[in-house]
Amino acid sequence: MIAYVVNRLLLAVLIVLVAMVILFSMIHLVPGDPASIVLGTRATPELVQAFRERMGLDDPLALQMLRFIGRSLAGDLGQDLFSNAPVAGVVAREMPHTFALAGLGLGWSVALGIPLGCLSAAYRNSWTDRILGVAAVSAIAVPSFVVAIYTLLVFAVGLRWFPALGAGPDGQPLTQLWHLVLPSFALGLGWVGYICRLVRASMLEVLAENHIRTARAFGLPERRILFRYALTVGVLPTVTLLGSGTGRLLSGAVFIEIVFNRPGIGKLVLEAVNTRNYPIVLGAVLITTITFVLCTLVADVVAALLDPRVRERL
Amino acid sequence: MPRNTLTRRTILAAPALIGAAIAPREAASQSIKVLKTRSLLDVAVLDPANRISVTDGDVMRAIFAGLVTQKSGDVWGWDKDLAVEIEQSDPTHIRFQLRPGVAWSNGFGEVMADDVKFSYERMADPAFKAAYRTDWDFLDRVDVTGPHSGVIVLKRPFVPLWSSTLPAGSGLILCRKAVEPLEGRKFTLDPPATNGPYRIKKLDPRRSITLERNPLWTGKRPAYDEIQYIQIVDSNAAEIAYQAGEIDFTQVPLSNVPRLRKSPPPNSRLHVAPSLAYWWLGMQSEAGPFADIRVRRAVQYALDVEMILDGTFLGVAERATGFIAPSLLGRRKANKIVKPDPARARALLAEAGLARGFKTNIGVRNSTEFLSAAQIAAASLAEIGIIAEVIPFDAGQQKALAGDKNGRWKEMGIMISRFTMQPDPSWATAWFVSSQIGEWNFERFSNAEFDRLHEEAKGELDQAKRQAMYERMQDILEESGSYVFLTNGATASLHRNSVKPALSPDGQFQMWSDFAPA
Repeated sequence: MIAYVVNRLLLAVLIVLVAMVILFSMIHLVPGDPASIVLGTRATPELVQAFRERMGLDDPLALQMLRFIGRSLAGDLGQDLFSNAPVAGVVAREMPHTFALAGLGLGWSVALGIPLGCLSAAYRNSWTDRILGVAAVSAIAVPSFVVAIYTLLVFAVGLRWFPALGAGPDGQPLTQLWHLVLPSFALGLGWVGYICRLVRASMLEVLAENHIRTARAFGLPERRILFRYALTVGVLPTVTLLGSGTGRLLSGAVFIEIVFNRPGIGKLVLEAVNTRNYPIVLGAVLITTITFVLCTLVADVVAALLDPRVRERL
Repeated sequence: MPRNTLTRRTILAAPALIGAAIAPREAASQSIKVLKTRSLLDVAVLDPANRISVTDGDVMRAIFAGLVTQKSGDVWGWDKDLAVEIEQSDPTHIRFQLRPGVAWSNGFGEVMADDVKFSYERMADPAFKAAYRTDWDFLDRVDVTGPHSGVIVLKRPFVPLWSSTLPAGSGLILCRKAVEPLEGRKFTLDPPATNGPYRIKKLDPRRSITLERNPLWTGKRPAYDEIQYIQIVDSNAAEIAYQAGEIDFTQVPLSNVPRLRKSPPPNSRLHVAPSLAYWWLGMQSEAGPFADIRVRRAVQYALDVEMILDGTFLGVAERATGFIAPSLLGRRKANKIVKPDPARARALLAEAGLARGFKTNIGVRNSTEFLSAAQIAAASLAEIGIIAEVIPFDAGQQKALAGDKNGRWKEMGIMISRFTMQPDPSWATAWFVSSQIGEWNFERFSNAEFDRLHEEAKGELDQAKRQAMYERMQDILEESGSYVFLTNGATASLHRNSVKPALSPDGQFQMWSDFAPA
């Protein structure tokens, strides 16, 4: 198990390094002088030169890249072009909002998806199963930003049950939770469908196995068989899916943050791209990449802990 | 054994308790007059010398005061602010007398004439490298003649001083005692002393900024106790937030205007103001088929501008008669080519030896409005045999292409562009002088008469002569064949009937001290 974890850790470090190189190259290979783009029509040649010196843009690209990687590894992601605030601090301030959104979105999908998947499997080929099937596929098919707009129009504009904007004032956790309900639901709905279908499929497979037949032969209650013996095995593919799904949830959070005007990494990156604030773009995308790699790593380790066959495969 | 006390009443009481926990703060906010308005961008820099966006300008005008202030309404103009007297005694001297008793915050004393000297000379100082240095390019010095009086001395006459320098952000006054000791004599989001009608109550970067009345302000009392300037990046999200009652004022995209005119939200008004920005279709005039003026003229005759505007702005934007907006001095009465004439366009192409047409590119920024305009233009050009491929790119790429030393600018025959400007016509012509080739003069247009007129008009005090100069400059641009003026666009905003907004004539800037409950 230790060898497995070490292997996965090394792989994760390699992925992050490659991501850093790609990220840096993408930003700098886009045509156009960042100094002229950022400073706009008002920039005098002296101002452009001062900016280039401040950003180290006159150095060779390879040196700039090495400097970026070295500083990033030391935790220094540079400075915001406009406010001069450290990028790490700016990103750290936004991250809890994105994590809260993705976490609660994941919460919705697990809390609804697993029971509905079990229900679907328990009543296989019944009307309940068919209705749940159609609902799950519909939830998968509708993009999260469409769900976001409609939930906003119905629950915030029409009924005025929930706030339409922002994350709520700092220091008021209940209000902040209230602000999270609609965005997290919009983000998690698609995943409710995914998890429901996945749990159903794996549960049907498990329910057909010998140990379940034996449990039934012993006369154990169906509920106990379903949740104690079938679900513990049937939920394994969902654990792996949640690891990779976190990355997709984070990218989905971008749209949700924009539609609900919530603070977070997605909104931060969008605004930074619009204002060509490259240090913020680099820093925020790098942190998101690391988060994604870590989530996948944790999901892999958890899956290996639950199923010994997984760790033998690496 | 303890009894289970979870009853239906307990369950119902829980949301009520949650509501009660939230309610007191909400109730408290109702007792004062609060204006909730939307900003597109985050507040980035509150130093007038290095301001970045409209958002910065809005906040700065509320927390700092200048000698004069921009008038709100339909006509560009200014009112006295900290100056009780201000007059241009000759073309290069402006005398001012400050209102006594205006205090700086944080115990920095009274606003003095020396603060005016510090503020304006700091911006004009080349070593300071102010982003807005060009606003004070013509400043020689400010002479302090008394504690509250002084003279602004110019190197030579500079007319935009009264339209885009003194009433704008560049005319705001900073406190010498507070700012001079700062590193580099500058600050970003933490002004050490302010003197305007409002002061910063809370700054929450990338979320909102809250202003409250400045108790030290001795000028006209603003109607609202508090301004909440909430950043909402997406315009449609802003409209939803408005409909949900979370903001009282927001700009809306022009494409939404026809729908909002037809069915506005309840108790709301739509305000559409002519913008200062200018959109144009330009042709580079040095290489390929466009080096021949007959080809450029053919394009001018081929394009159906009204069709482009209808398709792009859904009938909301008027056709431009030049780069200078209708609300400014220098506006032309009409274009020289009013209607499309494909027959004449084909004849001009034939004269240029291109009767069978040719292939070219239309470069545009990658946004819906630009792409729509380019596609409709390409359809018009196809009628005369010019096959134009639409190439979307980032604004930075456009600039990089224009200045490419290896001549890559030749790759782009046509570009559709949009520039914004200050309320003085000199800002519309500044980018088309010969020295801007390879910078912002994408068309590589060069005309000695145009260059001379641009410089002379900046110092021309006679309004009629100045008007004639700018009209002539726009005639030259159109006659060169390199330009087709599209529109100046418009700015649309939505506000509640209970709010009387105070905006700049182009609808861009919010003057909160003049906003009032209706």
